[in-house]
Amino acid sequence: MEKKQSLTRDREKALKGFAMSMDGRLLAHLNSCVHCGLCAESCHYYLSTGEEKYMPARKVDQLARIYRRYHTVAGKIFPRWIGASDFNDQSIQEMVDVLFGGCTMCGRCSLHCSIGVDIPFLVRTARSMLVELGRVSPGLQSTVDAAVQTGNNMAIPREELVDTLQWLEEDLRMEVNDEKASIPMDVPHCRLLYTLNPREPKFFPLSISAMAKIFYAADESWTLSTHCYDVTNYAYYSGDDHTAEELTQRLFDEMIKLNAQELVLAECGHGSRAIRWEGPRWLKKKFPFPVISVIELIAGYIHSGRIAVDPSKNTTPVTLHDPCNLVRAGGVIEEQRYVLKKVVSDFREMTPNRENNYCCGGGGGQLSMGEYRERRVAAGKIKADQIKKTGAAIVATPCHNCIDQLMELNKEYSLGVEIKTVGELVADALIL
Amino acid sequence: MPEKEIEGRIFEVDGDGFLQNPEIWNDEVARLFAGEDGTGELSEDHWKVIRFIREHWENNDMAPMVRKICQHTGLRLRQIYELFPMGPARGACKIAGLPKPDGCV
Repeated sequence: MEKKQSLTRDREKALKGFAMSMDGRLLAHLNSCVHCGLCAESCHYYLSTGEEKYMPARKVDQLARIYRRYHTVAGKIFPRWIGASDFNDQSIQEMVDVLFGGCTMCGRCSLHCSIGVDIPFLVRTARSMLVELGRVSPGLQSTVDAAVQTGNNMAIPREELVDTLQWLEEDLRMEVNDEKASIPMDVPHCRLLYTLNPREPKFFPLSISAMAKIFYAADESWTLSTHCYDVTNYAYYSGDDHTAEELTQRLFDEMIKLNAQELVLAECGHGSRAIRWEGPRWLKKKFPFPVISVIELIAGYIHSGRIAVDPSKNTTPVTLHDPCNLVRAGGVIEEQRYVLKKVVSDFREMTPNRENNYCCGGGGGQLSMGEYRERRVAAGKIKADQIKKTGAAIVATPCHNCIDQLMELNKEYSLGVEIKTVGELVADALIL
Repeated sequence: MPEKEIEGRIFEVDGDGFLQNPEIWNDEVARLFAGEDGTGELSEDHWKVIRFIREHWENNDMAPMVRKICQHTGLRLRQIYELFPMGPARGACKIAGLPKPDGCV
């Protein structure tokens, strides 16, 4: 067995970080798993491969065995007796392989856990240790780096964003036949600051057009920022708390600078989670302004009669994919159903749904970690089968990350469906 | 390093199937990648998009905004999505031999 003294400096640093984060919450979850195995059948990786290493309880043990080795008396003296393990090449490689490459941190396992162990929290804690070792998958790290260095995770230059938004504004004016329709940029003192996933302006701007049309119909006071608008936070996925805090702080500062009243998060699962639910922990303060999902905003518009919609404008059968971070973790569950039932005439639930829904397979930063693509697509088969069974021709989902994975599943499993944001369906149903 | 074999030719690719050595790209590679990923036979409109993306990447080291693709090819947004069902990134950029763009794509 390796002595602690023989650890390399970065490994020591990673273990120190682990020790520093050891509060009551972490200790409770690290020590609670009873290996009952109920979690296995809840995991889309385990179900699609049957490989034991993907069992959520095994994932928990990858971290727990390191904990036992360095933080229990028995582990320090007789590590093998209690299944403790050194933080060495082998255990680190296994962590990289399974905790980065075989987990979307979707949390379905925790829901099925007999004692409620927060497994994604433990997986993320392990990922944080791997950050210290520089073992984050290169694609995921480069997405984090792009956000830190350029202000958005696709490194879009500001002038190109502005050019795209102006182009979309022209289209909007033609569509609603009103020269005053606009996509406001950097306007101070608006009621809402709206955010974007960079993939929208870069490659898929129809969802921006849709939201602009909805804001127009609601006669909303809103603005985009062209300086700080990225709703994503891939540092949440990589486990890098320091960077996650920095990205959250930037949005916080932009809200203060523009003096907006509410921060509205675009259709993005992990971004919603990172900013709204993890953000106050990173910033060590509560937000002095409401932070809401755009889905809640739209549901409010419809409920209050602020926008009028006609479901007969969307007659194609639509099903809904529940993004794990927004739904299972965040509890935004019924709003998207309320909205869809108002804007489409044939809404079909997939089974299971709501907080028990299966992950699409694209979460946890998987889309940026190309080396694990085969596993990601294989693990998505459960989702593909769920979609097929509904007979729907459109899959709506309030998450751009899910959309990209669903587009790939669409092709791989010949689903023949269209994938849309909820906002796009609402925009199509608007009565202006 | 994963490899992809198409019609007897072997390409080094990343896990998502993007070409690892973008400099070996040429029209023939584009045709082979398009055939392999289901885009099918490349029309004149496909080529307009592919050539613009390629040129933009060679000059700027990044994929162009879809707005620029529309502007320079004269195609409408919806046409781009019809031409490349996997979208501008996993579809068009891959066929144009670019490395995979960062982000949720």
